[in-house]
Amino acid sequence: MPRQEAQRMRLDGVGRRYGLRGPWVLREVRLDVPAGALLRIEGTNGSGKSTLLRLLAGIDRPTTGRITGRPRTAYVPERFPAALPFTAAGYLAHLGRVHGLRTPEAADRAAEWLARFGAAGHARTPLAELSKGTSQKVAVAQALLAEPELLVLDEAWTGLDPAARDTLDRAVAERVAAGGTVVFVDHDPRRLAGAASARYRVADGRLLPRERGTAAEPADGVDAGAGPRTVVEAEGPPGSPPPSGLPGAPDLAPGPGNSLRLTVATVHSDALLRALLTARPPWHIRAVAADEPPGPGTPGTPGTPAPGEAPRP
Amino acid sequence: MTASLPALVRYQAALLVGSYRWLPPLLAYAAFLAIGVQTGGPILDAYGYAAGGLLPVSVWLARICATNEPPAARSCVAAAAGPGRAHLAALLAAVGAALVLALAGAAFVALLSDPHSTGHRVAVPVLPATGAGLLTALVCLLLGIGIGALCSPPVLRRPGWGVPVGLIAALLVLVLGASPANAALRGMITGSERGTVTVPWLSLAVAVPLASAATALACALGGRRG
Repeated sequence: MPRQEAQRMRLDGVGRRYGLRGPWVLREVRLDVPAGALLRIEGTNGSGKSTLLRLLAGIDRPTTGRITGRPRTAYVPERFPAALPFTAAGYLAHLGRVHGLRTPEAADRAAEWLARFGAAGHARTPLAELSKGTSQKVAVAQALLAEPELLVLDEAWTGLDPAARDTLDRAVAERVAAGGTVVFVDHDPRRLAGAASARYRVADGRLLPRERGTAAEPADGVDAGAGPRTVVEAEGPPGSPPPSGLPGAPDLAPGPGNSLRLTVATVHSDALLRALLTARPPWHIRAVAADEPPGPGTPGTPGTPAPGEAPRP
Repeated sequence: MTASLPALVRYQAALLVGSYRWLPPLLAYAAFLAIGVQTGGPILDAYGYAAGGLLPVSVWLARICATNEPPAARSCVAAAAGPGRAHLAALLAAVGAALVLALAGAAFVALLSDPHSTGHRVAVPVLPATGAGLLTALVCLLLGIGIGALCSPPVLRRPGWGVPVGLIAALLVLVLGASPANAALRGMITGSERGTVTVPWLSLAVAVPLASAATALACALGGRRG
């Protein structure tokens, strides 16, 4: 995968206002966007989250300050318009070419992503005839098929059905595991909970860092730090340490026998398994199970089970 | 950036074709030619007439292409390619559409007109006349695209202002003596009276940097809209 290792993306003193005398929407934003990071941006409506995402995606340019080291970027808007005179597959082929793919490659990846989101049957449907949810799947596929180094998601989950939301969660984890960076905004505080490597809050036009998984500071009444976690029991070659740079930065603990227990946010579990199985030499997987929710991590939701831990009907 | 300009232009062209918004300018230009180009009329006059009509039609096409994409779709493309290149591709699609009209108009003139001067006394060679006619059309096309780029978002963002401002600008560029389009058209008309072909090289040499500057300004503002 081509990656620009030398330059990492940076926002330096970035401010944005609209019009010559408009109020500052964002001011003095300083942000490092490292490769392989999953950044969550929070903030109330109208706080400037979307403006920040548009600056990150390169759609909008800052009024002051500089953005350097932009990698290959893709963006998913919250609502994707149906008013385009293409079929779903035709639109994705166009966007794949715009992202620099050759036509057959673009068509293959378009078909693959539509299939993953359960929209393969709509490939030949004109965009104007698609439902809102299926349009959103096309918008998401448009960004994912390019395997971008920077993926910017502005409430991209809105309008997707639950299965497609899970697919997008896993696709995000895959992007991160492959060394890409994902920046997202979502109104659901449990979205990718526990998987984000950093959280920021936009307030009064400023970007403020937030500690990871702070139970004392619940977001919108729900603790966003703890999400569903998965335990992988794996056994490596005798005496060898676990591979470095495992997806999702799993917590390590000794397991039964010679095995190792790796606990990771559930969205990263596929990527973690893939990394273990394809390591050189490969690891043996003994068991995969859902983790118990961390006890003190859910003070904001008394009486309700932790998200993702409720038994499926 | 890996995004390729040909892919962007292809996307914008497909968008224009599929949207059918090219149909009104095409019909308007066809009606304009049908009214003004007469069977057996002097060929240089007819080429000048066809080129003059192409200018406001090019303004129209540039406005159509600059506003053809829903904002969310434009954001997706702008993230992949940069807003400036996305806008450049839209304007290049408009150039392509206007070129098609220019060639069709020239073919129509060549078929119907009489290769003689206005008084039908002096014979005018068809090939050099067609060359001069196409170059005059190109001058008008480039200036029209430039005006269209300046009278559309992101340069002129006020809704409702683009069309009147664009039309007035197109009219002024056709009428004012200092404009390269006016000079090229005058060359065709006086050439038709004398039976001599005047190739508008100088007008083209002025129109190309003007149109390029207007396009560059519009594309540079591409990331600063809103």
